[in-house]
Amino acid sequence: MLMLSYLLATGITTGALYALVALGIVVVYKATEVVNLAHGELFMMGGFLAYTLHVMVKLPYVPSLLLAVAGSFALGILTDRVAFRPLMKEGLASVLLATIGISFLLKGIARVFWGGKGDYLAFPPLVSPEPIRIGNVMIMSQQLVVLLATLAVMLVFGVFFKTTRAGKFMQATASNPRAATLVGIHVSRVYMYTFGVGAAVAGASAVLMAPLTLLYPDIGFVLFIKGFAAAVLGGLTSVPGAIVGGLLVGIFEQLAAGFIGTTIQDVSAFIVIMFALIFLPTGILGVRGIRKI
Amino acid sequence: MKSSRFVLNLTVATLIGGLVAVGHAEDGATKDEIKIGAFGPLAGPVYMYGKLAMNGLEALFDKVNQEGGIYGRKLKLVREDDACKPEGGIAAVKKLIYDDKVFAINGGGCSNATLAAKPEIVKAGIPFVVNSAVADGISSPPSPNIFTTQLTATIESRAQLKYALEQKAKKIAIVAQHDAWGRSRYEPMMTALKEQLIKPVNDEEMTIDQNDGTVQALKLMQTGADAVLLIVYPKPAAVLIRDSLKLGYKPLWVGQTAIQDLPQLQEQVGIPGALEKFVSITTIPAHPDDPEMAEWRERIKKLFPNDALSVFNLMGIGSGMVVVEALKRAGPDLTREKFLKAMGTIKNFKTGMYPGPITCKPPVSNQCNQSVGWIRFEGGKPKSVGVTTLD
Amino acid sequence: MRVVVSHRAFLVVLFAALAVLPVVANQYTLFVGNLMMLYIILALGLNLLVGFAGQLAFANAAMYGIGAYGAALLQVRLGLSYWIAAPCGALLAMAIGTLLAFPALRLSGIYLALATLAFAQFTQWVLLHWNTVTFGAGGFPVPQPDFSALGMSPDRGIYYVTWVVTVVLLAFAWRVVRSRVGRAFVAMRDREMAAQALGVDLLRYKAVAFALSGFYAGTAGALYPAVLAYVSPEGFDLFQMILHKAMIVVGGMGSIVGSVIGASLLVYLLELLRQFKATQEIVFGALLLAFVLFQPRGLVYFVKRYVPGWAEPLHYASDSGSSSDVTVADEVVTGSGGGAPR
Repeated sequence: MLMLSYLLATGITTGALYALVALGIVVVYKATEVVNLAHGELFMMGGFLAYTLHVMVKLPYVPSLLLAVAGSFALGILTDRVAFRPLMKEGLASVLLATIGISFLLKGIARVFWGGKGDYLAFPPLVSPEPIRIGNVMIMSQQLVVLLATLAVMLVFGVFFKTTRAGKFMQATASNPRAATLVGIHVSRVYMYTFGVGAAVAGASAVLMAPLTLLYPDIGFVLFIKGFAAAVLGGLTSVPGAIVGGLLVGIFEQLAAGFIGTTIQDVSAFIVIMFALIFLPTGILGVRGIRKI
Repeated sequence: MKSSRFVLNLTVATLIGGLVAVGHAEDGATKDEIKIGAFGPLAGPVYMYGKLAMNGLEALFDKVNQEGGIYGRKLKLVREDDACKPEGGIAAVKKLIYDDKVFAINGGGCSNATLAAKPEIVKAGIPFVVNSAVADGISSPPSPNIFTTQLTATIESRAQLKYALEQKAKKIAIVAQHDAWGRSRYEPMMTALKEQLIKPVNDEEMTIDQNDGTVQALKLMQTGADAVLLIVYPKPAAVLIRDSLKLGYKPLWVGQTAIQDLPQLQEQVGIPGALEKFVSITTIPAHPDDPEMAEWRERIKKLFPNDALSVFNLMGIGSGMVVVEALKRAGPDLTREKFLKAMGTIKNFKTGMYPGPITCKPPVSNQCNQSVGWIRFEGGKPKSVGVTTLD
Repeated sequence: MRVVVSHRAFLVVLFAALAVLPVVANQYTLFVGNLMMLYIILALGLNLLVGFAGQLAFANAAMYGIGAYGAALLQVRLGLSYWIAAPCGALLAMAIGTLLAFPALRLSGIYLALATLAFAQFTQWVLLHWNTVTFGAGGFPVPQPDFSALGMSPDRGIYYVTWVVTVVLLAFAWRVVRSRVGRAFVAMRDREMAAQALGVDLLRYKAVAFALSGFYAGTAGALYPAVLAYVSPEGFDLFQMILHKAMIVVGGMGSIVGSVIGASLLVYLLELLRQFKATQEIVFGALLLAFVLFQPRGLVYFVKRYVPGWAEPLHYASDSGSSSDVTVADEVVTGSGGGAPR
């Protein structure tokens, strides 16, 4: 019984990692209909920026976090200008490949600057590294921080999309860019800020997650794949879907590892997704798109 | 029409021709320089075993060249990337031998890539000294042109088991990665356990990118394992130890050379006192932060300003010292045969980079490193707790 | 001087140069030339599926792996001759690839991409973990076929075999694209509903598209162990898939010659990257970005525009057009184009 509680608890805490990454992917997709394949590397750079500021330059935690988020935001805008804007009319394949190019570029840069400092860099947690007790399970306090951050981001975006003007602009742009332009929405600016915000979320996530996942140039890739899978599972256009997808992927991995065997842990998420997409072709909470003829 | 065809022909031929190498001097040794090739991962998740080891080698070559080279010949390092994949190893070695035309190879960052490249190396007869890869198949059965200064997977896995048994462990558990690296150690471990008629109480898998070890820790706790033999990289090790501490589980952890940087491991786990019951095999006699490594710290800083001296640099330096010594012993009239013969004369050679001296015993054994060092983490620093020398 | 080059001339010259390569090149260059031809086959197959038929699938590298493992395991485990094992490997990949047509009926776009990606990850996991059959992680050596009857070394022999297979598959792809199958592909890609309304049986043609690309990838896979004398699961991962994708996007989707250009160029580029050692990721990313920004539709479109005589009919996917309207309209409304709205 203790085993099950732990499997669920761990599923939720690792699921929160995937959910945060998925959130960034969904936010960008909602406005642009593009999956930014460099999202993992934007995440990674945010983490390294914070590392440089907080651990190397010894700035305090909160300013480092804010500056890292600002830096990620800037990188996101750069991605929009370089990869998305020039290529969005050429089709999905070109944009995807351009974002792949950016991901290699960022990863290579990170490896040159930080790669020689150690294989997996440690980042200090927000609060103490000691574990705390919740109910009958122990979890790391940083995992709680990540979980709370995930919920906070979800709430913020939920409110943002539903109530603020900017949020409605983004939704309008996604559903019909032409009409959006005609009513005066500055669509290219919406795209730009969307990429920036998506990257900022990624950067913030990295700083919060780094004490748990450690920092290294390749961290972006694996988390991106799982985050992307979670986002699709939840429905790429749904912000709560990203959370649901992330948590499900996390929980399923732990259950499979616990009850079937640790050897299947890594691939179990993909098996689930393969089958889920057969029954739910647009994800769990995804909107069933009307096929344009 | 004709002239345009000619232009096109020329362009395509140049493109293809660009791939065709211009030959250098025979055998990679001219009167001015000796080209030593190295292959290993230069990018990707395990680039430390390639790029960083090669950085160390380059620092060594820099020092030797500053001191006049070897009989007036400067040492030049030619790096090739193998992406830590078998096909990468085969391609890299083919390039070094047939295109770069190096004199000898000192490298081999990944076991699977090196193992796959072995037939090509044996066929070409080029001297090859391994510095990082541990797979047994590389050095045994021995080939006349292949030497290794690294411990083998069998040596390490058996040593891990032996240590646990010497500490009177009753329930032994294995936690291993099942990728090519992990397998090269996992299989000799299983063989050793069978020979001793021991059945491990746990046999768990972790992946190199795993973010949480709670399930593994729970399973270990359920069986009450008192010694855990770790065949994992630093990240899964750190995550497993962290989550075990969270659950209050404190077995004897027995590590190997991939997790021998204990101060780093402590930082990665993050919880104070995490490594109290942790012991690991080590290939270096002192930590990069220790005073005796000051010279190399400076050299690495000078050549690679973004880097800091690491265990992986030292692996490259230690092996390189053996190669340099053999080059010296081969004499001014350098040939591959003489170099190989000189490697055979290396006995009790002290590098200061390995726990014990290096001794090569061709044709019986070209595995030149028989010293297993053990370290614990005490008072915030790694502390040697003994060196066992096998015979 | 006007440079008039027909696309046929380009292909003839390229393959003539490749035919002559074993005579002038060292063992390493021969190896790279051989790989180049394998990648041409892979790019052709992927282009048929993604560029022509519009199915955004990410399983090509997995099919490559299945072909390779099929051929290698039949040789090593069952002792079959290479000449029987290789076609079996290719057919196995084709069969499994065809199964992917079923999810393709329900899913499209990014969802199909993820489903095929999940399948590819699963395949890799099987190759890595099914030790009793596949030898697991790290792979295993494979004997090269013997060409001593022809007086050639195995490396040269398999090079020529690859050359012949590549030329045959290139010609076949050419024919497919010009047949009703090719037309059905393009119709399916551009307007699926309309195609169906016009009598294009979607299941059948999607199955054909997946089968073809599976066969091409499987054939390249079957040749691979003979070239390398080794087979391992690590070579069929996501990076390999990205490479294939890059080849067809850089070369030109919806173009046969574009596949050839893309494959040759990328292989050449990878060799060039070897000079950059530790910064190769930076250079690779920058080059990829540069190529896509310079010619988003692929280099073959650039060539076709500026080189007279290049007459390959090209079939780049037309898109709905709404995005492109946005860029223009956006500037009109906000005046950022400079000047009053027209």
